[in-house]
Amino acid sequence: MSPSQIIHKVGAWLDHRLGLSGPLIEAAQHPVPRSSASWWYVFGSATFAVMVLQFLTGLCLATVYAPSADRAWQSLIYLNYDQPLGWFIRALHGWGSNFMVGLVCIHMAQVFLFGAHKYPRELTWLAGVVLLLATLGMAFTGQVLRFDQDAYWGLGIGAAIAGRTPFIGGRIVKMILGGPIIAGETLSRFFTLHVFVIPGLLISFVGLHLFLVLRLGINEWPMPGRIVRRETYLAEYHRMVSTDGEPFFPYAAQKDLVFIGLIIAALIVTAAVMGPIGPNGEPDPAIIQTVPRPDFFFLWLFSAFALLPPWTETFLMLTGPVVAIGLLFAIPFISGTGEKSYRRRPFSVMILVLVFMTIGILIYLGTYSPWSPHMEAWSGAPTPVEYVKGRTPLELQGAILIQAKQCRNCHSLGGQGGMRGPALDETATRLTPDQIVRQIVQGGGNMPAYGKNLSPAEVNAIVAFLATMHPAHQPPAHNAARPALARVDQR
Amino acid sequence: MIVRRRAAVAAVFALSLLAGCDRLPGKPKESQRPLSPAQVKSFDVLYTQNCAGCHGAAGNFGAATELANPAYQALVDDATLSRIIRQGVPATAMPSFAQSAGGYLTDAQIAILIDGMRARWKSGPPLKDAPPYAAAPGDPAQGAQVFARSCASCHGPDGKGGARAPGSIVDRSYLMLVSDQALRTLVIAGRRDLGHPDWRQYPPGQPLTAQQVADVVAWLAAKRPRFAPGTWQSVSTK
Ligand code: HEC
Ligand code: HEC
Ligand code: HEC
Repeated sequence: MSPSQIIHKVGAWLDHRLGLSGPLIEAAQHPVPRSSASWWYVFGSATFAVMVLQFLTGLCLATVYAPSADRAWQSLIYLNYDQPLGWFIRALHGWGSNFMVGLVCIHMAQVFLFGAHKYPRELTWLAGVVLLLATLGMAFTGQVLRFDQDAYWGLGIGAAIAGRTPFIGGRIVKMILGGPIIAGETLSRFFTLHVFVIPGLLISFVGLHLFLVLRLGINEWPMPGRIVRRETYLAEYHRMVSTDGEPFFPYAAQKDLVFIGLIIAALIVTAAVMGPIGPNGEPDPAIIQTVPRPDFFFLWLFSAFALLPPWTETFLMLTGPVVAIGLLFAIPFISGTGEKSYRRRPFSVMILVLVFMTIGILIYLGTYSPWSPHMEAWSGAPTPVEYVKGRTPLELQGAILIQAKQCRNCHSLGGQGGMRGPALDETATRLTPDQIVRQIVQGGGNMPAYGKNLSPAEVNAIVAFLATMHPAHQPPAHNAARPALARVDQR
Repeated sequence: MIVRRRAAVAAVFALSLLAGCDRLPGKPKESQRPLSPAQVKSFDVLYTQNCAGCHGAAGNFGAATELANPAYQALVDDATLSRIIRQGVPATAMPSFAQSAGGYLTDAQIAILIDGMRARWKSGPPLKDAPPYAAAPGDPAQGAQVFARSCASCHGPDGKGGARAPGSIVDRSYLMLVSDQALRTLVIAGRRDLGHPDWRQYPPGQPLTAQQVADVVAWLAAKRPRFAPGTWQSVSTK
């Protein structure tokens, strides 16, 4: 017997008992509107393919990964450097996650633009929103499993959001983190979420989603003027499919398969060229020299919060996600019938463009803006030499204290240092010594108050140093009511 | 036949891919393998990450003590260096670095730092006739005379600043932030980078004796306020 004959026999034996081939073939050959076999309709299947790939690579990684605080990071380093091709699997999985988030978003935008969420496919959309959330959940929990400094950062944001819930905030944080701080318990929680809970959710909702797609049929290409009405749509659709339909396989599936191939090739090339994502620094709270930064799909959230006026933060952090998710779920009920074509739905198109632009700009700001959590240079960068020369003994002590108190995690001097607060090089042109004292002692505007952590002598030294921070040609700010530099002038 | 040939081609292709994997740009380079902080063994990395911020990129022109000063390196012994780096200087900004004292450096790393400083910055034979690194406090009244003779030319008659040295060295806030040893170290070893004379040059040719050094440091230390004032405003240096 030749191999193909054997396969045939085994298949026949199984099918005799399972009886699956009939329904499967039927599903593969179900007629779809000819117009839907378009390159616009390939994103859903591509997302699915990448998800399957994620399951496979994830399985490989799970065999090596050790979900314990002291060994997680080490096991990733082992994969990157010691396990043959371990780095490649990690790269595939990491970039696959980015691809999947991207594809899900594109798929969703396309569905929305083509009005595919309208009657009778509302439930398909709802399942899709759950899938979006589950995908983001996978991305987030996966980033935590990397358990490096970025993971800390991503979690920090999550915990900060949750922690602001009135009354029960502390308890929620404890539930998420397994304690008040990020530790081993946190890791086992996120491991469970990432490999059991959310994948289970994903699989069941993908099942529902696909079942609905088969049952309700693929959305036809939206024609301007063809209105969806609950009374007539189903009949119209069936008429269309029976007169102008084609079997899904191979007619529509061809393009899906080609696109899947392209996406996977792109993923392989990206992984091979860009390499694995992280892990960067070991998540040791003692290490200050880090560049913590959330992955891009959460970066925009961070920069949104950094840009918002502080008093709105708590309110928006708590209501924002609820409202956004609520709106996503509500879409098919708000516009369940009517025009499908984007050409006749200018308002919807505008909203979509607006949302994508906002997120894009926020990601850009998060990457490049001075508000972003750049911590490239910590306080370890030396004080620029020109700020040391010609300074008085007290001013030099101030320069030392700015290093010692790690002000440069947020403030730069001579271009080196954090960018959360303004550069201090020209502070004296903006603030009088009195105002500098107030800023340091009372903090404010996202700067911690140092009042309790600095002795009066220390404050005097820092202020004396900062009062010298003005270009030679530009006089320092002064308070007309009080000879401002009186203290500094006693040199 | 055709199937076999295709399979063979595919296998060769896959194998060559695998063989090429070692050269793919995304493969992490061995040199990029992150070291856990305790594994860092390079003086330059250790110094840059831990000390350069206050003591300057090359051990000089920092706001704190000039470690690259040969006179300082000749003055201080290994045991003292080790003690200071391990435990810091209490009540000053000099942090403690030993893990046993809440820092992040291992004993081996502290030894690397000391050896590295010695190799780079210690030059020439040990200083002869230099006052010792540490000594019992001297007499402030005598110190006032030493100051008038050796220091006032630059620092002004009362130490509140002169043409050749900006700012007050008797500022109460300043004195509260430095240890007596830091003052002593400065008086003996000077600061080559910022133009501070060492003990042989007050004025040149008339080196300070060990007693004079102790006295002038005691004079400075006596100007330090005894009690820490309660709020920042009250430490006015008027
Ligand atoms: C967590 C980050 C952070 C740290 C740490 C921090 N700051 Fe700030 N600082 C800020 C921010 C943000 C602002 C801007 C505040 C505002 O806009 O009102 C600021 C403002 C200032 C200003 C006013 C600057 C100007 O030109 O307007 C001074 C001076 C200052 N900080 C000094 C310090 C000193 C000294 C320290 C260390 C003891 C320090 N900061 C530590 C975040 C920080
Ligand atoms: C946050 C600033 C800061 C950092 C970082 C720092 N130092 Fe210091 N260091 C100081 C100050 C301030 C003093 C003077 C303390 C005093 O008043 O005695 C000092 C004093 C010293 C002294 C003693 C000088 C003497 O008088 O004999 C040594 C040695 C020294 N530091 C070595 C180091 C080394 C090595 C490192 C890096 C591992 C380091 N320091 C990091 C601020 C710093
Ligand atoms: C040739 C001029 C000159 C003489 C003489 C001189 N100094 Fe200085 N001194 C300076 C200069 C310049 C500075 C500022 C640079 C620096 O901090 O080293 C300074 C700074 C100081 C400081 C502050 C160091 C710090 O922490 O930043 C002290 C303390 C000091 N001198 C003490 C003395 C004493 C005590 C004497 C006499 C034994 C003395 N000086 C003699 C020029 C001089």
